[in-house]
Amino acid sequence: MEKKYWKGVEELRNDAEFVRLKNDEFYEPLPIDELINKKSEDITVTPRRDFLKFLGFSVAAASLAACEAPVRKTIPYLIRPDQITPGIANYYASSYFDGYDYASIVVKTREGRPIKIEGNLLSSVSKGKVNARVQAAVLSLYDNARLRGPMMGGSLASWADTDKAIGEKLASVASKGGKIRILSSTIISPSTLRAIGDFSKKYPSTKHIQFDAISFSAMRQSNLESFGVNAIPSYMFNKANVIVGIEADFLVNWISPVEYAAQYAETRKLDGGKKEMSRHFQLESALTVTGSNADMRMGVKPSQQGAMVAALYNAVAGKTGGSSISGANVEGENQKRIEIIAEALLSNKGKSLVVCGINDVAIQNIVNSINALLDNYGTTIDLTTTCNLRQGSDAELATLLSEVEKGEVGAILIYNCNPAYTLPNGKAFADSLKRIELSVYFGDRADETGSACQYICPDHHPLESWNDAEPKKGIYSFAQPTISPLFSTRSFAESMLNWAGAPADFHDYMKAGWESKLPAGISWEKLLQDGVLETTSSAASKFSSKASLSLPASSEKAGFEMVVYEKVGLGNGAQANNPWLQELPDPISKITWDNYLAVSPKDAREKGWSQGNIVSVKNGNASAKVPVVIQPGQTPGTVSLAVGYGRVGAGKTADKIGVNAYAFVAMVGNALSYSGPVEISKTVDEDYKFAATQTHHTMMGREIVKETTLEDYIKEPNSGNEPELFEVKAGKDIQKKPTEKVTLWNEFEFGDHHWGMSIDLNSCIGCGACVVACTAENNVSVVGKDEVRRSREMHWMRIDRYYSSDADPKEHEKGDLKLMEIPSDMPKVVFQPVMCQHCNHAPCETVCPVIATSHSSEGLNQMTYNRCVGTRYCANNCPYKVRRFNWFRYQDNAKFDFNMNNDLGKMVLNPDVVVRSRGVMEKCSMCVQRIQEGKLNAKKLGRPIKDGEINIACAQTCPTSAITFGDYKVQDSNLNKMWKPEERSYHLLGELDVQPNVFYNTKVRNVEAEKES
Amino acid sequence: MTTIGCWIKYSDKISPFVRRINKKNMSYPYITRYFAFIISIFFVTLLNGTTANAQDGAALFNANCTSCHAVKEKVIGPALKGIEQRRSEEWLLKWIKNSQSVIKSGDEYAVKLFNDNNHTVMTSFNLKDDEIKAILAYVKTEAEKPDAVAVVPTTGDGQPTESKPIWPYLLIALIVLYLLSGVLRRVQETLAKAVRNRNNEPEPIPVPTKVRNREWIRNNKKLIALVLIGLTLIGSVKGWYDLQSIGISQGYTPDQPIKYSHKLHAGKLQIACIYCHSGAERGKVAGIPSANVCMNCHKYVRKGPESGTEEIAKIYKALDYDPDKGTYGTNPKPIQWVRVHNLPDFAYFNHSQHFVVGKIECQTCHGPVQDSMTVAGQYSLLTMGWCIDCHRRTPVKMEGNAYYDNLHKELKAKHPSDSTFTVEKIGGLECARCHY
Repeated sequence: MEKKYWKGVEELRNDAEFVRLKNDEFYEPLPIDELINKKSEDITVTPRRDFLKFLGFSVAAASLAACEAPVRKTIPYLIRPDQITPGIANYYASSYFDGYDYASIVVKTREGRPIKIEGNLLSSVSKGKVNARVQAAVLSLYDNARLRGPMMGGSLASWADTDKAIGEKLASVASKGGKIRILSSTIISPSTLRAIGDFSKKYPSTKHIQFDAISFSAMRQSNLESFGVNAIPSYMFNKANVIVGIEADFLVNWISPVEYAAQYAETRKLDGGKKEMSRHFQLESALTVTGSNADMRMGVKPSQQGAMVAALYNAVAGKTGGSSISGANVEGENQKRIEIIAEALLSNKGKSLVVCGINDVAIQNIVNSINALLDNYGTTIDLTTTCNLRQGSDAELATLLSEVEKGEVGAILIYNCNPAYTLPNGKAFADSLKRIELSVYFGDRADETGSACQYICPDHHPLESWNDAEPKKGIYSFAQPTISPLFSTRSFAESMLNWAGAPADFHDYMKAGWESKLPAGISWEKLLQDGVLETTSSAASKFSSKASLSLPASSEKAGFEMVVYEKVGLGNGAQANNPWLQELPDPISKITWDNYLAVSPKDAREKGWSQGNIVSVKNGNASAKVPVVIQPGQTPGTVSLAVGYGRVGAGKTADKIGVNAYAFVAMVGNALSYSGPVEISKTVDEDYKFAATQTHHTMMGREIVKETTLEDYIKEPNSGNEPELFEVKAGKDIQKKPTEKVTLWNEFEFGDHHWGMSIDLNSCIGCGACVVACTAENNVSVVGKDEVRRSREMHWMRIDRYYSSDADPKEHEKGDLKLMEIPSDMPKVVFQPVMCQHCNHAPCETVCPVIATSHSSEGLNQMTYNRCVGTRYCANNCPYKVRRFNWFRYQDNAKFDFNMNNDLGKMVLNPDVVVRSRGVMEKCSMCVQRIQEGKLNAKKLGRPIKDGEINIACAQTCPTSAITFGDYKVQDSNLNKMWKPEERSYHLLGELDVQPNVFYNTKVRNVEAEKES
Repeated sequence: MTTIGCWIKYSDKISPFVRRINKKNMSYPYITRYFAFIISIFFVTLLNGTTANAQDGAALFNANCTSCHAVKEKVIGPALKGIEQRRSEEWLLKWIKNSQSVIKSGDEYAVKLFNDNNHTVMTSFNLKDDEIKAILAYVKTEAEKPDAVAVVPTTGDGQPTESKPIWPYLLIALIVLYLLSGVLRRVQETLAKAVRNRNNEPEPIPVPTKVRNREWIRNNKKLIALVLIGLTLIGSVKGWYDLQSIGISQGYTPDQPIKYSHKLHAGKLQIACIYCHSGAERGKVAGIPSANVCMNCHKYVRKGPESGTEEIAKIYKALDYDPDKGTYGTNPKPIQWVRVHNLPDFAYFNHSQHFVVGKIECQTCHGPVQDSMTVAGQYSLLTMGWCIDCHRRTPVKMEGNAYYDNLHKELKAKHPSDSTFTVEKIGGLECARCHY
């Protein structure tokens, strides 16, 4: 049977709204009535006089405005810093870690303003790649909601006064022998830890407790029990032939996702004629990005996951001589699949990897044993070079909470975490904070925790501060400020040193600490220039587990189980006030600006829920009213809700969106549990309208995704990509010719270059990093929830997410996709980034009445905003629906109160790219500003351009290197190496023969194993 | 970090020789860094000092001393008036030949002098005793001269005298003509009346003006139509041109906060454009020099030939610099220049593309700055048509630039008869070269 692709349940059901959206890209009538501010019945008669009045006025206004050129001042530096030449960007190596995401970065600054974050290629951890959240961090720097200085009792104060007051209180607490507690997220900065040490020396009753918003405590605990190492190991997905993920979204959220995504992609790429790829199994309850990339995905309820892991262990142990765990009862289809997985693992001993994201020591112990039995320690798991990114301890947190509860804590210093928001009982914690004699918060805003603390001593943004980091044992990364602090902020470590009675500049303090430790031949300056220092570590050693295994406790009950998860955009919610992240469509649901309760199609059918119904969810601790999203792939019997929303006091953008899912997290024993039973009842039949992009810019069911299986690919490299043939009359015969031979157009002539890009669907994981990178590079406007609902999002590139399942195509032809609905409950997923395809025979160019869009001799489809009059003919004629219309002047319009509407937020704009005005079309330019800059640099140095020297924003940041940019005219360019039309390369809608300069490589799934089942 | 790399990269361009501007060869900026300029002055002075045979104290003084000393006022070093009374000739000879050795010998006066002048080391001069004596003699004669009265500077070349407008004369002539015609008509009417009286003809019934006019219009339809068509045509053409000039600010020469004269600096003093506008060879904007660039010279040059100390003092004020003490204060205020060239946001222009790669002279677009611009003004149209015209005309300088090698070969193959290729030929008229 033929595969069919659909974008969402709306398309499957062919909803009326979907049909309207698919046929009318711009369905809204022009709001002329509103503009003229008259009732519509008055306008039935053409207001000729009004028209003339407007015409006359606008001509007069235009000419007046044009005649009176304003006097513009230009203010040069008085003393120019020697590193700055106006108009030329500077790049500084730095590091980003916000307690959650880590990346070694290079910050691009223009005239002293950081405007873009790029990856540091020297780092072995992030390898020059950056994910969406780190990309967006540059905008968080210019967040208008940041505090302007220290706060004392709710009002701005000076540092001197704050220090004095805090110093006195600390002394008073210390004199009474009160407990001083520092509560922070994971700190990986050796110098900051040293400063905390200095503080503790002055106040010996100090204890430092680390906790992570999304806890990995059980994993550390389990490693301690199994191997005697209280740490998280380094994983090497690139060395694994078989990868099993259990409730671990390791491609986008889990521990060090950028690192893992790159490693994972390495095993999935089929470049250079490679004929093998890893096989990925995923067991999970909600459909995650990682799960949607898996070759075989199993929906497992959280309460059954323990049993599944135990069954997997038994299957592995049975063949490797381990003792089995009794009571792991898994039957039927699931048992079959477990056996398939075990078989795959066993045939790849030492070359497999099982990772698990469940915060449960018993389950983690079993996973450790599986890996140990499979000899994975030393090959795919490195417990020698441990990973420092998650160090939180739930047990210590629990102790602290009880101490706070009992009123034993005299002073609490809260750094880089927001417990009043992220703790299960955050509100209670906030209340108890008020009873503590001294409470200090180091966050940058008066949010949930900040407003409950007496003092706020705002820390710098990571781009403003000196810092160091040790993401892995022996691997260091350094941060240098790329802008002087915008506000009166002070680094946490400096505050600690100050209160410890030894005030020091953190840079000097850090440098002094490092200078004795530097390896020979490396100066401090060199260290900062490189940004990283990687000392060679000893080889990973083998381990065998010594933990006692038992069947994990199961809390299976009738009713629904809820999973609390992190989204690609907001993550743990710390950057919730970042409009770029809010507007980034979730890779799976394609919903922006919201969290929601994802339910499975089966449950929705049974309970009679439909998309947008608002339901009431309740568990022992919390209750909330949330809209329902019908999510194919969601395990029946489970619902999921994302954290990061429901913020209070985080800023205009973050507040009042969604509900706080952390409230549903429970402290079970001494571990935070992210799943548990909930009661759900439908409240109102109201139809909540999501700002979802999934059905926008749809390709009308045409085949643009091509995929095959590894088996078929090995047999026939062009399987799934068979050439499209046209029937042409040649004399009396009818011949079949490939489309490019049947054309009305002349061959396009190229100049010096012929730019193009390739997208490997096999490595694209759909993470959305490229979308945010593009937004940052090209000044793409944020339009907000309301406008996204009207399909007016401005993103130059979108990532289409297609579901597919085997179904009868004949039903589709009848226009009734309903029969496909049942197999669609557990669909396969394909991600496909689509941006302007830069067609050589571009349909948009031929219809523009003012030639505002034209073709360059280098193969670029050029969009000239200043020439565009906004007819939108081009968008209507674009087969790929990649053109975006500026309905408003998104900057300087109070209705769009995002970053472009305040002086601070505007500082992030790239000065080399125009900020588009109302009424013009825009689209991907293939980062023409970077191309021009690269060409100019080569010309100035009098040498040809080196392949790879110019890179575009999306390709540069892509964690899996799925996008390649290059010049077709350079014979051995990376781009040409990707172009294999006889194998996997194809153009979108190749039958149209618009000759795009962007091509795709088919997706290959390693599903052989599943077929056998 | 990267800029350090750039700095090193460019340092090979620094030559110890001052390349004087000559109009044909403007575009070869050998001097790009200010210290090279200073070093070159130093070398030149040194060279002059050792070879001069002239016993002329004035020439020696001007060649060796003026960069730091004046006779009657403090520059870098103290004023020299009365030096022959303050110190012995023997001491002066030693001091001028090697001041540091005098200081090291512990000479009290020398140490105090050194301390009073911010430890600025006086250059050691390899002059003969006679020459030093000649200088001292010159200083003495100069010191005895009465203070010159400040002369109001005048520009040498005669400003074009503004021609008086002729419209008042025309107006008077018109009025006179009108009056004259009135008088003549009166005379004619009186005469006609007299003729009628003599012939006893009846007085004609006066036709009302309205009717007369209507009559005239009816009889002259063609003329009126022609005039109307003519006026419409003239109006449209004039209107068209007026509309085209909207937004064009050619000749825009706003008043600037400091009366900086390009004519003086770039013309008379022949300072290379790139010395101040160093951004032009590196990036997008040529840039207005920061005040510290001004100070490279104006730390020493405290009085100009045109405005005396008034305008230079504005630089000092902006930097909060005390010229007498040579110290910088804590209250600097940036200079707010008025922007002359206002390219719209949607047009990307890069100076280095044109100056370094295209080897276009500054004057091509900015006009004869060094000859006529006391204050900078917009010389060119700066319209898109103007850009494109130039791109159509100008051949690309492909020779010697390996970037173009391949392209040149391809173009040669396509157009064997052409030897040069204009910017247009390599895609220089495409939209996304300037608009993105």
